[in-house]
Amino acid sequence: MELLCLGLNHRTAPVEVREKFAVGTTKLGEAANELIALAEATEGVVISTCNRTEFYLAAENAKQTLELIETRLAVKIQFDPSVSAHFYRMEKTEAARHLCRVVSGLDSMMLGETEIFGQVKQAYSSALEAGATGSVLNKVFQRAFGVGKKVRTETSIQEGSTSVGNVAVDLAEKIFGHLKNSEVMILGAGEMSRITAQSLVSRGAKSIFVANRSFDRAQELAAEMGGSAVRFDDWQSVLERVDVVISSTGAPHAIVQRADVEKARRARKYRPLFFIDIAVPRDIDPEVGEIEEVYLYDIDTLEQLAEEARGLRQLQILQCEQIIDLELIKLRLPGT
Amino acid sequence: MGMDRWFLIVSTLLAAIGAVWGMLSVHRGSRSPWTVAWMAAAFVCQLGFLSVRGELRAACPLTDPGEILVFLAWSLTFFYLLVGPAYRISLLGVFSAPVVVIFQALALIPGVLSADPQKVVGGNPWHETHSAMSVLAYGALALAAVAGVMFLILDKQLKDQQLKSGLFRNLPPVRELLVSLERLLWLGWALLTVGVVAGFLMPQTTTAIAHPAAAVGAWAAYAILLVVKRVRGLTGRRLSLLTVLLFVLSLAVFAFV
Repeated sequence: MELLCLGLNHRTAPVEVREKFAVGTTKLGEAANELIALAEATEGVVISTCNRTEFYLAAENAKQTLELIETRLAVKIQFDPSVSAHFYRMEKTEAARHLCRVVSGLDSMMLGETEIFGQVKQAYSSALEAGATGSVLNKVFQRAFGVGKKVRTETSIQEGSTSVGNVAVDLAEKIFGHLKNSEVMILGAGEMSRITAQSLVSRGAKSIFVANRSFDRAQELAAEMGGSAVRFDDWQSVLERVDVVISSTGAPHAIVQRADVEKARRARKYRPLFFIDIAVPRDIDPEVGEIEEVYLYDIDTLEQLAEEARGLRQLQILQCEQIIDLELIKLRLPGT
Repeated sequence: MGMDRWFLIVSTLLAAIGAVWGMLSVHRGSRSPWTVAWMAAAFVCQLGFLSVRGELRAACPLTDPGEILVFLAWSLTFFYLLVGPAYRISLLGVFSAPVVVIFQALALIPGVLSADPQKVVGGNPWHETHSAMSVLAYGALALAAVAGVMFLILDKQLKDQQLKSGLFRNLPPVRELLVSLERLLWLGWALLTVGVVAGFLMPQTTTAIAHPAAAVGAWAAYAILLVVKRVRGLTGRRLSLLTVLLFVLSLAVFAFV
């Protein structure tokens, strides 16, 4: 018996192709049985998430089954022959390695994400309940879950943000904990401020104030993010209540001076204040960072932190791949 | 060697293991879920020690310096177990465990803990309340000082933009630390108030002026700190520094009076 995998994911196929092959969570078991019948295989599991659809099969001859299933799928789903180019086909050890990578989050859009582990587990359970699995796929999937757990416990694949926006949001969480009680002010309605502010909102930031030289643009961005627009001349009064300030104006000189922050300190009762300066030239005078309760990070520092995280992540990926290869050698899985 | 000392030795060892285990985990970049377990085990042994000594004294075991130190360590552990896991600040255990070890190791120095504890005769309930509440208060205030030290470390790392260490990754957020610190200060101060009031209600000796004066001084200093924080506001750094300073100072003063 040989293990094989036919699939497509966010890297190989656009969403309009992926959606043709998507299977609802409640129909995974049924789909696994249909797949077995279609491929004339003995066992089958269907994994379907927003980023991938993959068919895992155990059959007498992997090559022949792959050809057969592709031809029959084309007829059943009536897809254009060009769609075949979006598929990846894997056999034996390669298929098992791929499953381990998927379960570990190494093949995910957001590297190391944990949701995929549960999704694969659900797909396998559905197939198991529908009687679509047997000795080969049971062992392969169960061992793959073990490998996935090992990868997550022995490496820090999920740690560290690799983009400037995420580094800034992580820092905000390190200062304020959960952001649900945090208020944010954006100075300058540029693209980078928008992205960073959106990340803060997605992690629960309580409210957003947008101050921009063009009030119309401030209103537009505030409406987009469910916040409030502020006249640019009034940003100092808002400083008294906010916890995070993201600045990205096109001003040729610093617009936030030490004196501006000093003025607001008493009213703020000296609460921590986080400045994210993503403008070039910088919007915030470096002297602001010397105020005791102020944490000031500029674009260079944030970029450097993101770069370090990217380097670390590459090392982590290598370590994960090594763990998977070693485990596959040790496990001697059936069908590989 | 009596059962009380065995309890104390085992408790000290457990806290030491908790401290080392926790520190190694933090060094590796992770947080050990076992710190709470080691501290809980140390707490049980502290209870064993205090109950044996309480039996021997037929009173609250706060008669010699050794007993006071162990009671203080017990109180610190108690508040850590109460606050740490509830506020998701398990790293507090890694910082508290060494303080517990120091207090208990000092108690184990020959002569600090009375080898032959005598029954307390003619005990007064106000006296016992005063001693117990005061030491309990200092447990909470010690934990506040520990949270203060944690804040100062995190603040320095954030200011210097040194964000790579395992310690940084595992320290709780600035705001959580400051909230816990302030709550512990209020709790400690409330207990200290009960202790000071009970102190004035117990039978007084005319000569012992220094001790009540120091108690009132410490109480007033903590009260001023809390009022200033509440009314005017204080930066996290100043609040933490003052909390640590006040704790060390008042402990040093009470060691002599």
